[in-house]
Amino acid sequence: MSRRRRVSPVVWLLLPWALVYGAFFVFPFLFSFVLGFLHYNPLNVANTTFVGAGNVTRLFGDADFHSALRNTLFFVIGTVPVTTTLALGLAWLLHAPLPMKDAFKAAMFLPSILSVVVIALLFKLFYAPGGALNETLRALGLQTHGWLTDPATALPAIMAMDIWAAVGYYALVLYAAFTSIPESLYEAATLEGAGHWATFRHVTLPMLKPALGFVLVINTIRSFQVFVEVLVMTQGGPLGSTNTLVMMLYDTAFRRLDYGYSSVIAYAVFILSGVFSVFALRRMRSQTPVQQRGMPA
Amino acid sequence: MMRYLRWIVLLVAIVLMAYPLGWMIAVSLRTSDGLNLRYYADVWNSGPFDRYFINSLAVAAVVVLGNIVFCTMAGYAFARYRIRGGKLLFFLVLSTIMLPKQVILVPLYIEMQRLGLIDSYWALTLPFLVDPFNIFLIRQYLLGIPTDCEEAARIDGAGELFILFRVVFPMLTPVLAVVAIHTTLTNWNSFLFPFILTNSTSMRTLPVGLALLAQGAYSIDWGHLMAGAVLSALPVVVAFLIFQRRIIGGLTTGMTR
Repeated sequence: MSRRRRVSPVVWLLLPWALVYGAFFVFPFLFSFVLGFLHYNPLNVANTTFVGAGNVTRLFGDADFHSALRNTLFFVIGTVPVTTTLALGLAWLLHAPLPMKDAFKAAMFLPSILSVVVIALLFKLFYAPGGALNETLRALGLQTHGWLTDPATALPAIMAMDIWAAVGYYALVLYAAFTSIPESLYEAATLEGAGHWATFRHVTLPMLKPALGFVLVINTIRSFQVFVEVLVMTQGGPLGSTNTLVMMLYDTAFRRLDYGYSSVIAYAVFILSGVFSVFALRRMRSQTPVQQRGMPA
Repeated sequence: MMRYLRWIVLLVAIVLMAYPLGWMIAVSLRTSDGLNLRYYADVWNSGPFDRYFINSLAVAAVVVLGNIVFCTMAGYAFARYRIRGGKLLFFLVLSTIMLPKQVILVPLYIEMQRLGLIDSYWALTLPFLVDPFNIFLIRQYLLGIPTDCEEAARIDGAGELFILFRVVFPMLTPVLAVVAIHTTLTNWNSFLFPFILTNSTSMRTLPVGLALLAQGAYSIDWGHLMAGAVLSALPVVVAFLIFQRRIIGGLTTGMTR
C-alpha cells in the first residue's frame, strides 16, 4: 500500500496570504529600496541611472524636505496631545449613568466612519469665505478670515479639523477602558478617604495607562502620514505652509515624476513612524488570549 | 447635580462637533427655490456618480468576502498549527499592520503598470484581499476558544477543510462581524490607493470621484459637492445607525486590551 505524502494543511491555509503579501507588499517594499538608489523617470526609463546615495544626500540638503519635516512634526506635536487630552475628558464625562448615552456615543463615533475625503471637503466649506466659521464670526460682529489661504492659519486649520475628526474615536476607546476598571478599586479608594482628584490620579490614570499608550502610539503613527486632507484642501499651499512629508512624496512621484527621490522620502516617513510602530508591536505581541476576551460578542 | 453638569458639558461638546456636519447638510438642501433634494438628483444623474457608487460597492463586496475567507484560513493556521518559523511569520503579519503604506505607493504603481492591471478592478481588489489586521483579530479570537469541537470532529474522521469551514467558521461569527465592519469601512472610505491605481472616470470609486469633483476647473459648486459627499457617506451612516452598538464595540473594545 503506497501512501502519497500529504502536503501539510498549513501550506494551503497560508497560501492566499503569502501570495498577496509577497506580490503586493514584500516585492514593492524591496523594489522601493532599490528605487531609492536610482534616478528613474517613468517617461524616460531607458535613461535610468544609478546614483548611489545621491538621493539621500539630496534629501538632507533639500529645503523643501526640511519644511515638510517641520510641518509634519508641528502637525503631530500640535494634534496628538490635544486629541488625547480632549478624548480623555470626553471619556471621563461619558463614564457615568447618563440619559441618552447611546446617542452621545453614536454622535462621537460618527466622524470615524466618514471618508477623509468627505471630512476634508466638509471643512473646506467650513473654512470657506461663505462657510460656517466665517458666517458665525460675521454674525458675532468679528473679523472674517481666509483660513486656508493665509499661510499662517492653513496648517493650524487642518490640524483643528484632524482633532475634530479623531477625538470621538479615541474618546470611545478610552471609555471602553474606563468601563473595564473594577468598581472595587473605587470603593477601596473611597474607604481610604481619597478625593476626586486623588482617585483619578492614583486609580483611574494608572489603570488607563495601556489604553492611553495605545491611543498615543496609533494616533502618532497616523498623524505622521497626514496627506489626503492636505491634497483635498490646500495641495500643500499656500506657499508650502501645509506641505507635509507624504504630500511631498506624492508631489515628487506623481507630479515631478522623480520616482527615485520619492522612494527616499518614503523611507524617511517609514523610519520616523517606524520608531513608534516598534512600541505598538511590542504591545500587540504581548497580548494574551485571555485578555482578548473583551472582544465584543 | 454633578451628573447633570456632565450631561450638559457633553451635550455642548457634541453640538459643537455636529455643527460642521449640520452645515454640510444644510448647504446640500438649500437650493435657489427653497429646501429640496434637487442637488442630490443632479449629482446622482450627472453621469459618473452612479458608476462611482457601483464601483465602490463591487470592490467592497469582493474585498470583504476575500478577507473573510482568506484571513480565516491564515488566522486558523497561526492559532492552531505548530509552524516552523511561525513566530517570525506572524511577526511579519503584525509588522504590515503598523507600517505606513505610503512606502509602497510608487513601487506598487510601477508594478501594476507593468502587469497591465492599472485602471482595472484587479488593481482595486487584489492588493487588499488579505488585511493582516484581520488575521490578527481572528487568530487572537481563536486562541481564546477551546479546541474541543475541532478535536471531536477530527476523531470522527472529518477532513481539515470540513473542520475549518463547518466547525470553526460558525464559532467565529462575532469576530467575523468585526472583520466585515472594519474591512467595509476601510475599503469604502479608501482614497489614496484607488486614486493612484486608476485613471479613467469609469474606474473611480466614490471618495476618488468626490475629490476630483472638488478639484474641477470651475469655482467650487458647494451645493452639489455637499450633496455628493452626503450621498457617498449615506450607506455607511445608515449601516452604522442600524448596527451602532456592535460597530462601536467592535472597533473600540477589542483594541486596547
